[in-house]
Amino acid sequence: MPNLEKSTPVAKPDMVPLTASKAIIARGVKMTFQSGAESFQALKGIDLEVLSGDIELLMGPSGSGKTTLLSILSGILTPTSGSVELLGEKITGLSRTKLAKFRLNNIGFIFQDFNLFPALSAIENIETVLNLKGIRRGEAKRQAQQLLEQVGLGDKAKSLPRQLSGGQKQRVAIARALAGNPKLIMADEPTASLDSQGGHAVIELLRKLAKEEGCTVLMVTHDPRILDVADQVLYLEDGLISPYVPARVPSVP
Amino acid sequence: MVSLARKNLFQDLPRFVVAQAGIMFAVSLVTIQTGLFSGFSRSTSLLVDNSKADIWVASEDLRFLDLTVPIPLQRRNQAQQVQGVDRAEALILRGTVWRRSSTPLTSVRVVGFDPEGQLFQPKKLDQGTLSQLKQPYTVMVDRSDLDSLNVNRVGQVAKVGSFQARIVGLSKEMRSIVSPAFMFTSLENAYAYINSPIAEPPRNPPAPKPLTSTDQVSYILIRAEPGQDLQALKRRIEAALPDTRAYTRGEFADLNQRYWQKSTGVGFILGLGAAVGMIVGLVIVGQILYASVSDHLKEFGTLKAMGSPNWFIYSVIIRQALWMAVLGYIPGMALCIALGTWTLQTQAIEILISPMLATGVFGLTIVMCIGAAVFAIQKVTYVDPAIVFKA
Repeated sequence: MPNLEKSTPVAKPDMVPLTASKAIIARGVKMTFQSGAESFQALKGIDLEVLSGDIELLMGPSGSGKTTLLSILSGILTPTSGSVELLGEKITGLSRTKLAKFRLNNIGFIFQDFNLFPALSAIENIETVLNLKGIRRGEAKRQAQQLLEQVGLGDKAKSLPRQLSGGQKQRVAIARALAGNPKLIMADEPTASLDSQGGHAVIELLRKLAKEEGCTVLMVTHDPRILDVADQVLYLEDGLISPYVPARVPSVP
Repeated sequence: MVSLARKNLFQDLPRFVVAQAGIMFAVSLVTIQTGLFSGFSRSTSLLVDNSKADIWVASEDLRFLDLTVPIPLQRRNQAQQVQGVDRAEALILRGTVWRRSSTPLTSVRVVGFDPEGQLFQPKKLDQGTLSQLKQPYTVMVDRSDLDSLNVNRVGQVAKVGSFQARIVGLSKEMRSIVSPAFMFTSLENAYAYINSPIAEPPRNPPAPKPLTSTDQVSYILIRAEPGQDLQALKRRIEAALPDTRAYTRGEFADLNQRYWQKSTGVGFILGLGAAVGMIVGLVIVGQILYASVSDHLKEFGTLKAMGSPNWFIYSVIIRQALWMAVLGYIPGMALCIALGTWTLQTQAIEILISPMLATGVFGLTIVMCIGAAVFAIQKVTYVDPAIVFKA
């Protein structure tokens, strides 16, 4: 591995201040994918802890297991072995229905491709999630408008995704992720599809989320600009957390 | 709740229009086939349904309306004596040939009735009055049969049996799919027509004779006194009138409809057409919904990842199906009604779209669309929410 140095602290249980609560705890997480007779071990035993209100980056080369780990820590994938605890609740072992309910109530998601419903306007995309959370029509509309204003898109409520720039789409997606005040935000390459200006706006929003709203943000990224706002960086390589992080994190491959 | 279903559906307008055309086609096919079947069935019992008789009396050898053996007119007088009978009238129904010089021979069904009676008359009169039929050798035909009889107006004359038949009026909506053109006339004229050989009419034939009690008619129509138990009255009539069988109007209509449905297999053929319509609709809607779900798979996956329960996603797909059903049904049914009106006016073929049929087809369309949605639901049920993280 070229140009390595121990520049960024890697999450270790013994480094957690005693006063801070732990939003994410993973112990011995392994994940093996089976395809016919062949199997592939994507994660080989991950231990980590993330404090509430922290911005945690998951970095590493393609195929290192970042997305798999994010999926497991979000309760979307069930690990082959190991345990995951989110906000004090052990989610490994929960039924699919209970997992879905947990995600709905506690986690906001941000995706590289935004994943907005193209047929719905910005405000409707947010309202849909609020409706899912049981918030009724009028109140959902009011909250959705508030969230759009929070991300600086109050005037774009009626715009369809195709009428928005990449950065604006991602801000709508962030507003959607914030619907219902989740405690955890799981983000997958949130700045990868954005230009410089859009990327900076999103990074600033995520920083505010963590530092002003108290959200815990776990983010897969290759974007070195985010390092400035991160509390910790986990560098994955070959399905394991590496104790070393490259001094210059590579840009998106 | 935001109408994700409706907006997803309308997002791709050309595809939506194609889908709706498909559903419209399916709705039309089912409605037309079933409507034709209903129209056909009604047509087979047109004369029966059109009568005001409570009971039809026929020979015990009757197979169906057009295939029976005659009974003497005396039976009418006997029926009149039966307790509970308010009124009895005779009806003659027999096939013969309609001739016009220099045009091909045409089959007609002579319908002889009492123009002053109360139990039978053509459904609607377009021209002329029933009392004109009391004149010798006068007839009425249906307006829709004018072409097939090679005539075009009242006053024209044809030859039936050994006599002239002068058209003195026109009826409406009295055309049967299963029968030759009806020729309405008085009992006396009818008797003369069907009992004379096919020959050149004499110049001044004598007026037809009044019918005697031994003359043969086809049916005796009965009106019961108010409050009579028709089944009991039927039994009394059959006991009093030898070699006869009595039917209520409904029973007689059913008998004729069943005969034609079984003997022609038309029920099977039209039913098959309706089934094909259903299958075509199912495939079209299924394909469109499946494609729509495939196009939005990532968004559905996103909803699942965010914790949406499956029922929410199913409800989106089912609502899409319901929108398609309603928006396909309305123009489809409108088209059928327009087509039915046109065929009735120009071809005298009835596509009978009753409120029950319209409601039934609507229900069927809903079932068809929701059935098709099941394919799409299958697809979304197994979507892995982890796909949301794959750019």
